[in-house]
Parts: sequence; structure tokens; C-alpha cells
Amino acid sequence: MATKKYWKGLEELNNSPEFVQNAQNEFAEQIPVEKFLSDSNLSENNGTNRRDFLKFLGFSVTAASLAACETPVNKAIPYVVKPEEITPGVANWYASTYYDGNDYASILVKTREGRPIKIEGNELSKVTFGGTNARVQASILSLYDSSRLTGPLTNGAPATWSSVDKEIGGKLAAIASKAGAIRILSSTIISPSTKAAIADFTTKYPTTKVVTYDAVSYSGITKANAQSFGVELIPSYNFAKAEVIVSIGADFLANWLSPIEYANQYAKMRRVSKSKKEMSKHFQFESNLSLTGANADEREAVKVSEQGKVVVNLYNAVAKIVGGSTLSSSALACDAMITKAAKELTQAKGKSLVVCGLNDTNVQLIVNGINQMLDNYGKTIDVENSSYTHQGDDSAFADLVAEMASGKVAAIITYNTNPVYSAPASLKFADAYNKVGLKISFADRADETASLATYICPDHNYLESWNDYNPKKAHYSLSQPTITPLFVGEDSGTRQAQETLLLWSGNNTDYHSYIQKTWSERVFPMQGKYMVFTEFWNNALHNGAVEVGKGGENEIEAIVADSVVAPIIVKGKTSPKKENTKSEEVKVFTKSDLSSAASKINATKGGEFELALYEKIAIGNGTQANNPWLQELPDPISKITWDNYVTMSPADMQVAKYNMMERQDRMASVVNVTVNGVTVKLPVVPQPGQAQGTVGIAVGYGRDKAGKLSTQTGVVGQNAYPLVQIVGGTMMYGAFDVKIEDAKETTEMAGTQIHHTMMGREIVKETNLENYIKDPKSGNYPEVMHTHAGPVNPASIDLWNEHDKLGHRWGMTIDLNSCIGCGSCVVGCTSENNVAVVGKQQVMKTREMHWLRIDRYYSSDMSKEVAEETGKGAIDMYLDMENPSAVNPKVVFQPIMCQHCNHAPCETVCPVLATNHSSDGLNAMAYNRCVGTRYCANNCPFKVRRFNWFNYNENTDFSFNPSQDDLGRMVLNPDVVVRSRGVMEKCSMCVQRIQAGKLEAKKAERKLVDGDIKLACAQACPTNAIVFGDLNDETSAISVLRKEDERNYFILEELGVKPTVSYLTKVRNCEETIEEGKLPKEKEVKSEKAEA
Amino acid sequence: MDTVCNKSPKQIFAIISFLFFSFIFSSNQVFAADGAKIFKQNCAVCHSLGKNKLTGPGLEGVMTRVPSEKWIYDWIKNNNAVISSGDAYAKKILGENGGAQMTVFNDFTDEDLKAVIAYIKAPPVAVAPVTPAGASGPATPVEEGVNPLALLIGVIAFLIIIVAVLRGVRHSLKNLQNEKQGLPEEDAVGPWAELKSWIAAHRRTTAAIILFILGGFVSAGWYALKDIGVYADPIQKREYNPVQPIAFNHKLHAGDNAINCQYCHSGVERSKTAGIPSVNVCMNCHKGISKGPTTGTAEIAKIYDAAGWDPEKGEYNKPQKPIKWIKVHNLQDFVFFSHQQHVKVGKQECATCHGDLKEMAAAKQVQPLTMAWCIDCHRKTEVPGMKDNPYYESLHKKLAEKFKGQPITVDKMGGIECGKCHY
Repeated sequence: MATKKYWKGLEELNNSPEFVQNAQNEFAEQIPVEKFLSDSNLSENNGTNRRDFLKFLGFSVTAASLAACETPVNKAIPYVVKPEEITPGVANWYASTYYDGNDYASILVKTREGRPIKIEGNELSKVTFGGTNARVQASILSLYDSSRLTGPLTNGAPATWSSVDKEIGGKLAAIASKAGAIRILSSTIISPSTKAAIADFTTKYPTTKVVTYDAVSYSGITKANAQSFGVELIPSYNFAKAEVIVSIGADFLANWLSPIEYANQYAKMRRVSKSKKEMSKHFQFESNLSLTGANADEREAVKVSEQGKVVVNLYNAVAKIVGGSTLSSSALACDAMITKAAKELTQAKGKSLVVCGLNDTNVQLIVNGINQMLDNYGKTIDVENSSYTHQGDDSAFADLVAEMASGKVAAIITYNTNPVYSAPASLKFADAYNKVGLKISFADRADETASLATYICPDHNYLESWNDYNPKKAHYSLSQPTITPLFVGEDSGTRQAQETLLLWSGNNTDYHSYIQKTWSERVFPMQGKYMVFTEFWNNALHNGAVEVGKGGENEIEAIVADSVVAPIIVKGKTSPKKENTKSEEVKVFTKSDLSSAASKINATKGGEFELALYEKIAIGNGTQANNPWLQELPDPISKITWDNYVTMSPADMQVAKYNMMERQDRMASVVNVTVNGVTVKLPVVPQPGQAQGTVGIAVGYGRDKAGKLSTQTGVVGQNAYPLVQIVGGTMMYGAFDVKIEDAKETTEMAGTQIHHTMMGREIVKETNLENYIKDPKSGNYPEVMHTHAGPVNPASIDLWNEHDKLGHRWGMTIDLNSCIGCGSCVVGCTSENNVAVVGKQQVMKTREMHWLRIDRYYSSDMSKEVAEETGKGAIDMYLDMENPSAVNPKVVFQPIMCQHCNHAPCETVCPVLATNHSSDGLNAMAYNRCVGTRYCANNCPFKVRRFNWFNYNENTDFSFNPSQDDLGRMVLNPDVVVRSRGVMEKCSMCVQRIQAGKLEAKKAERKLVDGDIKLACAQACPTNAIVFGDLNDETSAISVLRKEDERNYFILEELGVKPTVSYLTKVRNCEETIEEGKLPKEKEVKSEKAEA
Repeated sequence: MDTVCNKSPKQIFAIISFLFFSFIFSSNQVFAADGAKIFKQNCAVCHSLGKNKLTGPGLEGVMTRVPSEKWIYDWIKNNNAVISSGDAYAKKILGENGGAQMTVFNDFTDEDLKAVIAYIKAPPVAVAPVTPAGASGPATPVEEGVNPLALLIGVIAFLIIIVAVLRGVRHSLKNLQNEKQGLPEEDAVGPWAELKSWIAAHRRTTAAIILFILGGFVSAGWYALKDIGVYADPIQKREYNPVQPIAFNHKLHAGDNAINCQYCHSGVERSKTAGIPSVNVCMNCHKGISKGPTTGTAEIAKIYDAAGWDPEKGEYNKPQKPIKWIKVHNLQDFVFFSHQQHVKVGKQECATCHGDLKEMAAAKQVQPLTMAWCIDCHRKTEVPGMKDNPYYESLHKKLAEKFKGQPITVDKMGGIECGKCHY
């Protein structure tokens, strides 16, 4: 949709003025009211006269009344035999696990009347600590995806399981008899039972080999660690212990390895309070402006080819301080920052962390070297309790493709992977795949790969299945079915892939008992808490996650031999074999190793433009591309929905004379990006902070066979995976030399935020650590209003009376220091409150329905002070203020929802009193009372009210809206009304959750305890940035926070609307002196290009 | 919409006399009501109120049979003791009933027994049902009223005839007079033309009349619109009484057999919906009871059909068929009503909203379930469950300070705010 321009006719292609005018009309043509009503006998001018008008008015009123008078007969159909655990109207919760080969999260699933409706984090997990991200939150909708297959397919035609099993069994036997190669290609499997099932299958068919392939691979790290430690592994990083963090291109808060876990740890070190006035220091060197870079204290934009050199120079800088030998290096523009980072790192020896996002063995080797010098192993990096979530082996995958292409592979089984879509173009995977005789896929839909397969044996959704997971050496978790499989039939429907595998290997056990068997044999002996297996199993199932073995913090006294703890080894799998490497015994890197690595890195040369591929927080690697919630979630940085695009430095764009798509009112230029003969055509978007001479493109888009969304909205974006290259045996998510050509086209993009800066206002208050320690109020001086009685705080001037302090008074405080802007809360809110998906066209008209948005502001080079110095006029000054600093803007994120003002301006203007204030401090919205005047939205200073322009739930123009299809509708929360056309809606502060929490306390005849009620946004937050509670309860966390934390402030306090939601000043750990309450001025000297 | 004020005098008289009689008999009724409850819960299993014998003897005229009132008290409390004391009448009864002893009811107070005996003495037919005000009680017979609309049409027709006749008379009289005076005969003017000329002469009056009529229509329409979607209204004596797929008898189950409402509607204290019982709940009892007193086996067979139960073989061997009940109490889509809040926390009786189902054969909606009705109750009701609930402790104290001396009703706690029910 983004790059290809589709047109209905030549008018649209030529974009003639008439066409533009017509396109803007709500109705295609004038409705022939006049013609219909007019009667030539009654009026000569062929118009409607007064009498006719009255006639038709009377008729329609009567007709409407008659239609309304019909009293509907409602049926109530109870269960015949009610399941014991279900009480209609009461939610049941089940602990489960989400793992899609990329993200891991231990979760709780809320079900109502037997259908899952919401996913929340499991606080008992020691990996994700109750955090989730947008993709995990949205995965509930993927369960109700009507594009899922409802039964097995043979060559694209529906088949029965019995016939499929028989045919495949026969073919496999034939292959086995000829000793033909059978390959299982999958994304990382962390399920011990799945591995056991594969092992069983391998026993039956000994020519089977498993190849692990991750679309976004980390095999550079495993390979480097194989050289450093003798084992392929990815260690556990602990950002909660890191006082200094240096990240080179690793977007660890959004996508890198285990972002939910890292975000939680990171936030622990970032939070400041009266008692804890220290925070971690975070340096980021990167090409694209990532979410992690946006949260960094010091950020340096470097070219893709320079990232490796930054690592080398950092190694040298650290080595110089600690007295190690240095490597050959080349000078970089950012050496000053590297020296600074090295100084900080060495000062925090053993409490620092260096991570790098490049999937390059050489670079990762040197990163290991730096961490070794800094004594981080065993402290912030745990090699012992290594992470298993990303075990993709790029060279093994490349070898497999070569093997397939040569026709040596007789059968291939793909599980949870889609290489036709995601493999690099150079591998020509599709051609190789077609050369395999027997192609079996376990995909849940006929995706790009599965549609080429001989047989598709669809797997259950994870919410319908049993499974077990081993994300880290000492962590195990279970997932359990929360709904009967949606597609079941005698001989059709979906079937657990593991059961299918077991069946083919001649084992008829169901997977549930198979997992129990695996656990009783392998997991149960590793713990010492429970004596009986059933007790252990029931507890593990109830809690969702358990810790075992030596890495377990609380669970075990008994020490179990390492060989038991190690994951089950599948034949042919190059997974860790033995992990007895103690952190103290880390092998010292030989100098020769590193110097050859360094010289290889130093040899890289960049072209005019370099490319960095990245994942977006919503779409990730593209597995959930058919999920409209994720497509509509704005990118945290660019705020663009429903598209991927080329991000480019504004300075480069000016040179190339591309349209600066700063707002929706300008069309974006389309460019062709060519890497090694592969071209992708995408619109170009100016991205402040993008390293000059680099462009960024998100992967995960352009899926034409992801499901029906691509037919309803057109294919979203373009596939950038073909641009991936294989360099030195690992996938390289970028390119050092790309060609960018103007395609001489323009297209439209749907962004949700048109203002990029705060234009000199103080919506987000911020300070730096130094000033904060000196004066906790720094950056947060109260607003002053000048009155006849002298300057006073606007909060003390009041036109209205205070509200009574009876009962509860709900309040919310958001810590801007903890908020990383990830958007998890936005999807959590969408899921909880039945928020409609409106689609790209409506987003372009600023009609998105999200009740909660995250505003992202860049700092600007222009400020009032600068304008005074340079003598700029007010108009020029404000024009300049609109432009973010191009080179390295500071970024702030601010979640904005209804502020529930105590003196709400929306309430006073509603002519029908549809919005009014409740005694517990909520700004309530009675939809059935609303007549849609939109006065309230006009009067809202925070712009949080959303108007339903269309009946998104029924209007077929919005067929992508989940509530329009019978299956998708099952995701709706029955406790929240589905709004119709013509009403205003907004954040209700999850009043349904408040009411439910209160009722539980009332029923138990006890006082409401702080923490009884958790809002949808707060529970989704991986960093616990949102605090909710009762302000009338003096002991509640929020009351204490507001009383004690000097950072507490209300946005637009000077208006006197007295919001209920407050924010805590953002504190940056950087030296720049920040003038009181002002954003830091940019000190970086602009490059010549930027000035040009 | 009619109110008490525009009811016919006869109806008002009926209401007043009903209230009067209810007051007079109220002292008796209190006993009888308690007694009925005790009887149904404890005695009805074995004794009938008539002459027929169930497990124990029928109780009609029992007080005339027994030796003394004290005897029956002792007997009910502990018949073992009476028998072992060697009482002759006790032995006689024991013999009549095949030596089967009665259950011992030690927990009954004398007052309970007094109430039960009063109930046994006055059979239930004599008890006036507690129905919404305005409904006719048996003590106050109400005559069938004449339809006021028919009366109105009759009067109008009569007036039109009179006008027509008088016009004719006037015309002939005028002509007679003209003839006398030698004036030419006046043309017969049609009534329509005359009306037109009258209207032309009295424009203001006409306008006023038209406005008046229009006003009447608008106000009637307004009230009619307010009734849309309202299934029942006790004031208009309108009830919603749909025919259910199974003629389930609430009176028989909840009334006569005194089964607790929560036995079947088990969600009422745990969920926002009380819940319609699933068929397996019916089968708990109806596995054994296949014949009812009113409909015999016909209706119970429908339960078996739904449950897939084969009464012959005594096993579930047929496909299950969910029962499609018709929802009687329909709330509008956009209101969140929670049963647990009202029943468990607010300690409200089921009958407050659902009427006395113990006396209804088929469930019917008796209250309007409109927002006005909800709010009305919230404005009047002091929540009984609030005082002892620690949840409300501080709120209650603060409210008591704020509204000194006034009753603390639901609305004072924020119970009529939009956001409490609409979200």
C-alpha cells in the first residue's frame, strides 16, 4: 500500500482537482433527496416545499417510533452441564507462557465463559517479572484470527488428518528406507518436551536433522562465545546490576534478545526517589534512532560501518585505563564520547555492561573482551544461567539451503518459521525449497512458506495448547490450554504439532501426558521443594513458572549435576553440550584472536549510504503481521502506523530534495533502496537523530500471505528481509553500501503525532541527575501566575469549590524516568477497553481511537534564549522551534490519557451532561447520553477525547476491525461497552476494574488494600512506570509518592483544571547544565551537511 | 400515562380499602407469614395442610384432635420424650403411622411454634398475597370498569348528533322566520363551509384549539416514547409474562417447596448475573422426581430431553439440547447491573426487583426496570449491609458527619452517578 500506488481510474492517477474534491466528499455523489421528495404537481421549482418536508418528517418519525416499539424477545441459553469452574460473569485466570521463537513472557490469561480475552504479565516469573510488551499483549487477538487454517491441507486442498497421516507416513517410510535426508527446520525451540518429541521422531527416522533458524538471528553472539568459553551460548545479562551501560546498536529495550526482561531491569536502575538518588548511566552508539537510543543519557549517531570500529576503539580506551594491550584502530568522530564512556565503564568495574547489536562474530568477540576487562562476567553477565531463547545458527541454515538446492534433501518439516518470507534474497530459499520432494509445514496458516508446502498440518494456537518452555537454564515454565481448540472436527481441525510428530513416530500419547513424563524425568529431579511429582506439577502449573537447579533463587537447596540441567540435546543440534564453565574460569582471550578480529573490523568501508535494518516494537520479526492492533500501534519514534519506510537524516533529505514528510499534509517521496541487486521501494521519512549517510528500514512488513488483513487493507509495507546479507557465516542486518534513487513518486503515510517538539512549553519537565541531587525540585519549579495579590501558584486560584473527600479518590502517577515509551500500555488498553481499529485512512485524518497515546517529543535547537541572542523574531522563532534538532535530539516520551481533571473543562460544555464527575474523582463518560456535539473534545486541553466517526464495528469499510468478524468478536471484553457511531469516548481509568476491585473488598468485608486494583495500562507496563491508587488513603503508594517526591507535577497546571493524573520529572544522567525547567540546548556542533 | 390521581374513583376506593383491610389483618398476617416459612421448610415434607396423609398425618383440624395446646408444643419439640413419658394419645398416633417417629425440632422457640400453629389453623388460601400497590386484593372486589375511550367516543358521537340536529332545527327555524318577514329563503350552508367561515371569523380561538390538540399529541407521544423497551409497569398493571419453553413453576419450587433461590440461581452472590440454572442443576432433583403436581410428566420430560436423560434406563444416553429460555428481566444493553453488589453486599431481597416469585406460577416481570425506577430506589434505600462492613467504615462516618441526621441512602454514596452503572 505504501509504495505501490493503486488507483481506481485515471482521475485518481492524475489526481485532478475534480477528483481531489470528490474524494474529499463523504458520499460519492449527491444523495438524490431532492429528486425523491419533489413532486412536480406540488412545486414548480422542482424543490422540496415545506409541506413535503413536514410529510416526510412525520412519516419518518412514525416509522422510527413503530420500529422502536417492537419489544425484542431475548433468549437466555444456559449450559446443559455447566463446567464446575465456570460461573457466568466471573473471570478465570490461567498461568501460561508466550513464546513465538523470539519474545518470551510468562503470562496470565484472563478467560470469561471459557474464552480468553486478555493477557497480563505473571509476576511470579523471575524472567519477565510480570512485564509484557505490545506483541505479547496483542497475541490474544491472533488466537481469534480467521485466517488460521481449520484443517490440514494437501497441496492447498482441504484434507483429512487420517489421509494426511497415512500419506505422510508412507512417504517418510519410503524416504527412510532409502536413507534419504529428512530435515526439521524451525525457529528456536526452548520446549524440552518438543525436543524430546523430535528426538523420538529422530529415533524412528534416523536420517533426521534439526536446523534452527531465527529470522532475526543472534548467532554472532553464540559463535563469539563459543570462541571465548568453548560453548555456544547466550549469557543472561543483568541490567539491574549495571551502573554503566554502553550499547552499540543493541535495541535492548524494544527488541534485542529479551527486551521485556531487560526493560524491567533497566528501569530498576533508572528510577530515582528521595531515598535513592543514583541511577545508571547509559551510552548508546547507533545508526537509527531506536527506542533504546531515545532513552539513553548520551547518544552518538554513528554509521553502520563505524559501529564495529566503535567497539574496537572502546576496547582500546578501556584497555588504556585498565592497563591492557590495545588493538589496531582507526580514529572516529565520536572518539571523545568513547573515551568518556570508557572512563565511566572502568570506574564501575564489575558493575557495568557493554552490549552490541551487530550479528558479527568478530565484533562480539571484542565486546566479550571489553566485558572481560571490566570484570563483568559473573556479575552483570551470567554465563552460567545462560539464555536459550535465541539459538538460530545462520551457517547451518545456509548449509541446509545449499543442501536443499542440490536436491539432497528428501523431506523437510518446517515448524514455527517462515523462511520463504524472511530468508535473505541471496539464499534463494524458495527455489531450494521447491526442490524438496516432501514438504511438510506445521504453520497455522498458509503463509509464504506453507503455501508452497505439500502438506500443511496446522498447529494449535499457543492459547489452545499444552507446552513447556525452558527460556534459561534454571527457568522452566508451562503453557496450558485456556480454550478448547477453536477448530475441531472428527478428522479435521488443528492438531498440536508435537502430537503430530509423535504420531508419525508411532507414539499415540497425548502431548499433555508426554510433557508430564518429560517433567517427571527431567525437571522434577532438579528441584528439592516438592517430594511428590503431582504436587510439583500442580504448583508449576498454577504459578506458570518455576526455577530449578543452581540458578534458582528460592526454589532449591539440592544441587543437581549440570548434565541434567543442560537442555535436551537433539541429534545434529549444535546446542550447548556442557556448561560447567564457571564465571571465574572464563578463558582469557588470546591477543592474536582479537587483533585479527579487529583488523577485519577496521577493514570495513562504507559507501555513500549505509543501511541498518531494524525491528519495530509492534510488528517485530513479522510473525504477527496479520494483527490489526499491532499494525495500528504507532511506532514509538516515528509515530507512523500501518507502514514501514526508509528513515533518513533530514540533512540528507534536504540534499536529495525529498519531500520532508513532517506532517500528514505533505506527501512522502518514494525511493528505491538497492542492496546487491535487491531493490525495495519505500517512502522516505525524515528521522532526526538518524546518522547521516545511513538509512533504516524495518523488517516484518510486506507480508502478502499473512492473512486476510493483506486483502482488506492491501499489503502493509514492503519486505526488507531480502536485503539481509550473509557475511562471515552470520546474517548481517544491514549493508555498507546501498544505492538510493528517487522513484519520482509520492505516497501518504499515517502518523499519529504531527508536532515533534514542545515548542518551548513545559509539558514534559526534565532535569539532570547532578541538579536533581542538589535540588530535588530542579526542573520542576511550580508554575507562577501573576495576580493583584502578587505571584501565586495557579493551583491555589480556584473558580470552583473543592470536591468532598469522601470514600475513594483515584489518582495516577506516571514516572517519566521509568517510562521507556514502548507502547505496551497502548495495546493493553486497546485489548481491555474494546478500542476500535480505524485503519490507515482514518489515522491520516487524525481519527485514531486509542484512549492512551504516548507523545514523543524531540528537543529543538531553537529556544527563546537562542532567539533573543540571535535577534530572531517571534514567528521565525516558533517556526524553528517546530523543527527538532537534526543531529542528535534528546527524546522524551509521555503517556497521555484522560487526565480526569477535577475541574474538567469538558464537563462544563457538554449540553446533555453526558460527561460528568464522579465522587471518586473520575471523569465519567455516559455513552448512551452522548449526542456527539464534540464540544468536549474541543474544550479538552489534553486532546484525549476520541470521536466515533463511523460504526467501526459494523461498517464494512472497516472490515479489518476485529469485532467485525465472528471469530474476532470473541476477543471483546464483555465488561466494557462497544461504542457505536456518533459518540465520544476516552479513557475511563478502567472503571470496570475499579468497580470489580471495590466489589471484591466489599464482598470480603474488608477495607480496600492498595494494589487491589491494577489498571490495564499499569499491568502491561514492563517497567512499572504507572502507579495507580487511592489518594484519600494516606498510606497508599500514590499518596506517599505525591507527598514525598518533589518531581511530582501536573501538566498544564496553569490552566487550573486540576488533573488527577500526575507525572514525575524525567531525570537524565548527563552533565549538561539544564536551565531550570527548560530542555537542554543542543551543544553538538552541526555538521556541514546539516547546515547546508 | 396514568397515575393514582387520574384513576377512576372506584379504583381509588379499591386501593384505599385494600390498604385499610391489609392494616386490620396485618397482625395475623405477620404470624401467618413466618409460620408459612417454617412450615414449608420443616413440615411440608411429611405433612399436608389438608386431610390427606403424606409420610405423616394431614394437619387439617389437628388442634381439635390433640389433647391440649401444650401437648402439641411438646410433641413438636421432642416427640421422643412425649412417647417415652407414656402419653396415651402419643402412642395412638405412633400406632396409626406404623411406628414411624417424627423428626425432633429442638431449635424451635415457642414463638415459632405459635406461628406454625397459626399457619396450620389458617390455611394459605386465606392469606392475602403481597402484591404491588394498586393490584386488587381478594378482600376488595373490583368491578369491571367501562373502557374510558369507548365512553369518550360515545359522548363525542352523541354531541355530533346533537349538533347536527340542532343545526337542522336552527336552519328551519331561520327559514320560517325569513318566510314570515318575507325574506328570501336562506341557502342551506353545509357544516363544513360553516365551520370554515367560523374559523375565518375566530382565528385566534382556532389557533389556540389547534395548539392545545397538538400539545396533547406531543405530550402523549412523549410518554409513549418513554415506554419503549419497558416491558412491565406496575402502575399501568402491565406485566411481561412470556411463554417459556418449559412451564417452570416458581410457586411450586420456591413457594410450596421452599427451595432457596440461590440453589438454582447460584451466581447471585458471586457474579454480576444470578444465572439461569444449567440443566444439570435441575437433574439434581428431577432424576428422582419425574412427575409434578400440576403438569404431571409432560414438562419434566422436557428437562430429560434437554439433559439427554433416559428415565427408563436411568442413564444419560441421548444428545444434550440446551434449553432456550426467554429472558424475562431485560436490562438495556448499556447498563452494568451486578447481582452480587445488590444481594451480597447490599443485602437486598430478590423480591425487591423480581416480585414475589414464590407466588408466581410463571416468572413475570413486575417492576419496570427503568432507570427512573433504579434511581428512585437508590434515593430511598439505606443500604442494610453497609453499617457492619469494614469496607464502608470511614465513608459511613464521613457521610454521617456531612448529612447530620439524614438517612444515608445509596445516592449519598455516589450511587446515582453515571459512571457507576454506565461504562
